[in-house]
Amino acid sequence: MSGFLSCFLKVLSAEMKKQYRVYFFNKSIYLSLFLWPMLTFITAYYNYKPFRLELIAGGMGYINEKNLILFALIGYLCMIFFECFVQSAWMFSFERINGTLELIYMTPANRLAVIMGNAAASLFGSIWLFIVFACGIIIINLTQLKFQLWSALIGIIFLLVLSILWGMFLNALFLFSRDSGFLFTVLSGPMEIFSGIKIPTAVFPLWAKAISVVFPLTYIAEMLRRIFLNGANIYELRGFIAASIIISIILLAVTLLCLKLGEHHAKKTGNMALF
Amino acid sequence: MLKAEQLSKTYETKDWAGLFRRKQNRVEAVKNVNLEMHQGQIIGLLGINGAGKTTTIKMLSTLLLPSTGCITVDGLDIVKDVMAVKKRINMISGGERMLYWRLTARENLWYFGQLYNIDNKTLEKRINMLLEKVGLSDKQNIPVERFSKGMKQRLQIARGLINDPSYIFMDEPTLGLDAVIAKELREHVKQMAYQQGKSILLTSHYIQEVEELCEYVYILNQGEVIMKGTPKELALMGMESKTLCIELYSNHELLHASILEACHEVEKDCNIHWDADNSRYTICSRKDVSNVVTKVLLDKQVPLKGFYLQEPSLEDAIVKLSKNASKNTSTEVSA
Repeated sequence: MSGFLSCFLKVLSAEMKKQYRVYFFNKSIYLSLFLWPMLTFITAYYNYKPFRLELIAGGMGYINEKNLILFALIGYLCMIFFECFVQSAWMFSFERINGTLELIYMTPANRLAVIMGNAAASLFGSIWLFIVFACGIIIINLTQLKFQLWSALIGIIFLLVLSILWGMFLNALFLFSRDSGFLFTVLSGPMEIFSGIKIPTAVFPLWAKAISVVFPLTYIAEMLRRIFLNGANIYELRGFIAASIIISIILLAVTLLCLKLGEHHAKKTGNMALF
Repeated sequence: MLKAEQLSKTYETKDWAGLFRRKQNRVEAVKNVNLEMHQGQIIGLLGINGAGKTTTIKMLSTLLLPSTGCITVDGLDIVKDVMAVKKRINMISGGERMLYWRLTARENLWYFGQLYNIDNKTLEKRINMLLEKVGLSDKQNIPVERFSKGMKQRLQIARGLINDPSYIFMDEPTLGLDAVIAKELREHVKQMAYQQGKSILLTSHYIQEVEELCEYVYILNQGEVIMKGTPKELALMGMESKTLCIELYSNHELLHASILEACHEVEKDCNIHWDADNSRYTICSRKDVSNVVTKVLLDKQVPLKGFYLQEPSLEDAIVKLSKNASKNTSTEVSA
């Protein structure tokens, strides 16, 4: 067991280091990562301004004019994590083009460790943005922040776990099919709209609410907002915690299944080298 | 020993045959291939484009599942014991892909070493040894994107040896390399087989390379092994006739008719070609005409510049064997 674990960790850390060196080869990458979410955040914030906030809040008592900026910042902070992983999965498809995917498949390395490493490498980018946004939150409106330490800790842990699992799931999908590039388009924009990043899901029409259920980001964004804007304690978060655990299990199971079926499919059809 | 028995691969593809209808196509890329690789042996897999070489290599290297047949590596089944087999094999391809260009040579080797779960001390030593062997020690910390084609190919070789495999599959390893570097790489291949006891399977479009390196060659055509043997045996198999070359210092007009007469006595339809000044004769015949020609030359006391039987070439044999095999297939189909 310890042999398996050390082998798993070895592959995981090697993959993280490799991806980090490949995709964060230049310091300007960090800046470019920061600019796009920042611009979309500013756009979203000023979009609220002309409207009556009490209608947007849709009965969610914790949103008011004073903490509106925090509401948007927390949403975007969560989205940055998930967005990074969508991009990392898309970038992983370049392994197919480079022919290195075949070399990875030819090794006895644990496949789950490889995609986990690839997803986790995106954390380097996400953590930088997390710090910038967190500093922004503190500087802009510290007085509006009310949170309990343990709830905050649990919220951040779930943010990390769910976003990594989301990234792994997408990686597995990209490995399964060479034509899954469209997912990048499908998942990137709609995830921002339907996960309640700009507008709370509570004010969505029923059909939009149904779509929002699909994205793990919906739960994590709402959970973190309740933690940091409403001071929710662990008991009050029990529904979100349960949902996050269930989603994590489902994502992991589907990822493992995709990996197994994906490799078998690739070995059967020979599409590993096709792009 | 690596053994492939009755190996076949059929690809099933679906193409649109209308707006809503999809047609299923089946392509038999490899059919009933049997081959063996022994320790320290370099074997060649030859054939024209689309013969099934790459598909065969990919099945042997665990990247493709055979449709039928089985492959064993040191007694291990390539499907059931796939992870154990992966530790014993590796592949080296020609071209500039299959490396991380933004990583340095050392980082590339380190990454793949980690995937093979090689312990850090051994890996460190092996990376140093391999970099030294392929002559990249002084360039080890330079990103691969700044490497020349030859340097990238040398790094590919080092990468292919990172797990110290017993079986190495080399798919066109000298593709696009200049003569000097290609020769250098061939030396590496010989060293791997003869000094380190690695079994190597080589595919190449450069027939001379195969003739120089391979002890045993399989010729594939349309997915089937149509011939196998040593390069020499195969070259002879392809040669239905012998070619005798005679080079003279000067034109001997009288000789011309005598040679024609002597050769036609042995074989009526043998082909005799000569150049414009009658100083070089090329005689192609199924039967040996060298004795009668020698007699004519001695009788006429002709000073000779050269007199030799042309060596059969593997390249000619492959072209001929492939053509014959295609002809037979089309005959079978039409019959």
